[in-house]
Amino acid sequence: MIERLGLLVFQPAQPGSGWAVILLVGLPLLLGILGAICRPSRGWPAVFLGLLPFMVAVWLLQRVREHGVQAWVLELGSLTLHWRADALTLLLFMLTQIVALASAAYAPAYLRAVEDASKGSLVWLWPLLGTLVTSLSLIWLAADLLALYIGLELMGLTAVGLMLLPGRVEALAAGMRYLLLALVGSLAFLMGVTLLLGAWGRLDLVGLAAVSEPGPVLWVAMALLSGGLLLKAAAFPLHAWLAPVHASAWTPVSALHAALVIKASFFIALQLWLVLVPDAAVAARLVGGMGAAAVIWGGLMAWRAAKLKDVVAWSTVAQLGYLLLGFPLLIGTASVAADIAWEGTWLQLAAHSLAKAAMFLAAGNLLLATGVSRVADLAGASRRFPLSLLSFGIAAISLIGLPPSAGFTAKWLLLHAALAAGQWPWLVVLAIGTLLSAAYVFRVFRYSFIEDAPLHDYRPVPWGMDLIALVVASSSLLLGLLAEWPLALLRLAGGAS
Amino acid sequence: MPPLDDVLLAMPPVLLAALVLFDRHLVRACSLFVLFALAVALTWWWLGFIWLALLEILLGAALTGACLFHALGISPVGGAPQTRLTHWKDPVVLTWRRGLGQSIPALAALGMLATALADMPASDSIAATRWSGQVLVGLGLWAFALHRHLLRRLLAFNIIGTGIFLVLMTLVGEAATAAGHGLVMTGLMVALLGTVLGALLIRRLDTLDAQRVVGSESGGGAP
Repeated sequence: MIERLGLLVFQPAQPGSGWAVILLVGLPLLLGILGAICRPSRGWPAVFLGLLPFMVAVWLLQRVREHGVQAWVLELGSLTLHWRADALTLLLFMLTQIVALASAAYAPAYLRAVEDASKGSLVWLWPLLGTLVTSLSLIWLAADLLALYIGLELMGLTAVGLMLLPGRVEALAAGMRYLLLALVGSLAFLMGVTLLLGAWGRLDLVGLAAVSEPGPVLWVAMALLSGGLLLKAAAFPLHAWLAPVHASAWTPVSALHAALVIKASFFIALQLWLVLVPDAAVAARLVGGMGAAAVIWGGLMAWRAAKLKDVVAWSTVAQLGYLLLGFPLLIGTASVAADIAWEGTWLQLAAHSLAKAAMFLAAGNLLLATGVSRVADLAGASRRFPLSLLSFGIAAISLIGLPPSAGFTAKWLLLHAALAAGQWPWLVVLAIGTLLSAAYVFRVFRYSFIEDAPLHDYRPVPWGMDLIALVVASSSLLLGLLAEWPLALLRLAGGAS
Repeated sequence: MPPLDDVLLAMPPVLLAALVLFDRHLVRACSLFVLFALAVALTWWWLGFIWLALLEILLGAALTGACLFHALGISPVGGAPQTRLTHWKDPVVLTWRRGLGQSIPALAALGMLATALADMPASDSIAATRWSGQVLVGLGLWAFALHRHLLRRLLAFNIIGTGIFLVLMTLVGEAATAAGHGLVMTGLMVALLGTVLGALLIRRLDTLDAQRVVGSESGGGAP
């Protein structure tokens, strides 16, 4: 498994690729500071400048395709930090850029429309966005635990800061809970890293994979690391903070958070399991059981939720459950099943990121236009906001897992992997999850298609905001049609080096 | 048996931490926290980590202390606290039963930690420090579960963090000291930034709360 993650590298990195990585990490930060100075009032400059790191990622991906995985060691005195870029890393990086670009393009118009945007919080938005993207890039690229810790902490604190920007009492109270939980999660992570460092004296993942031995130290360390990360990823029993935080956050921030921030914690957890305990099948099934519970409980709560944003937030809990099913399918299974599950897991991650970002943006448009927050008050929305509902619907196709969306392909692959591994209970979970997601999505549609609703006042949303939501939603559909391209790259990362 | 001077040096942080976490008066608890950070800095110096001692004084004692006092509304110029925050009692009453019940997660975590650490025996000179670190983690976890007050939870978080740093630096050998330093420095920065965010939040929530109370009083008095 370790070679799939691009961690085993023998040839030196190509000249120039080191600079590309520095650009990848540094550009979002610079753009964030620039954004704080200029405070763009239109979306297109943000998109135009935000394309720069995307281009660098495309260039680097070309390099990786030609020359295999690129790896660097950064030496600061006697301290060494390990980095690597493989196809998976760069695909995740491009996904980050797409979602961040959509949020950045959406933000200026949104902030003009929303009332509670004070001047101070407007200044803070852009540098925090930039820092968040930088920290995500650090997490994708890092190949040792110190670098991962730095990236994780930077991401956690920035995410809390972004959630606090609205400045209302509810946002602050939810943000305070989020801050405390994030800090507890990072303490657990640090304790796990401490034990690993104490036992084997090194922090690079390749070295740890080679020298670590099963025993109480490894198990306790993995329990602490996984506990901290799953808390930050809002995995099933540790998910209670998610819905209140999203309920009061700004829409572009919610989209970014649900699409990327919780995925980064999941990515680190899966990577650590694959590297350190690749044969812990029983523990992995336990995580899978948590995922199954998340799919069912999250789906039920989304179905019952009164507010539209709560529906979307609970659906994140449920969809994350599918990702947790990757643990039992990847760890301790035969390579036939693991190969399929590998592709299914990452495709599900990408599909959910795009679909959830689109759904949050579309829901934000609906909330802004109608001025109500309850699902039941959306009555009659179908006539007035067809475009927002269309984006919502396209995103929902991917979330439910209907063909031809990427969500369908991902769930199909996971289903195949479960069959190949002989773990049929996950099939039941996939089926129930699909039914539940259909139920909560159609509940929203049932209310919005009530034709004889009284006319409330509403204000039209700028067409750009609708367009962005539609484009992101369509990209989740498009990814399903073009899924072969990223999957081929993932296979390349597995086989070529 | 660890030497007596090591044991004596490990005692002040533990005692001060217990006082910080369970003192009913918040201003006194925050002042004690500054003393606690200075005691930890002394421990770092004794163990030979001069840089960590300096960082602990700067980040742990000075800046974190400043944040805590800011959260309480105390400033060097203004003097006494203006807000009602210092008189906040915990909304949940402390009883023996609750206290014992909430100690279970802390004891479970300590048990896990002790199991893992049993495989890594400590030499005499650092055993006392390692024990004090573990006790700090346990005390902090207990206080974190017990208290609902935001500032007390921030204090508990800082003390757990310090306990982890102490355990960490006794675990790393000669070869990995640089990695250990890196982790502790990142951890100190994170703890400081977390405290800054928390302190600003507490102040903001308190201001909004006071506005709401004033608003409801004037609204209620009008008719």
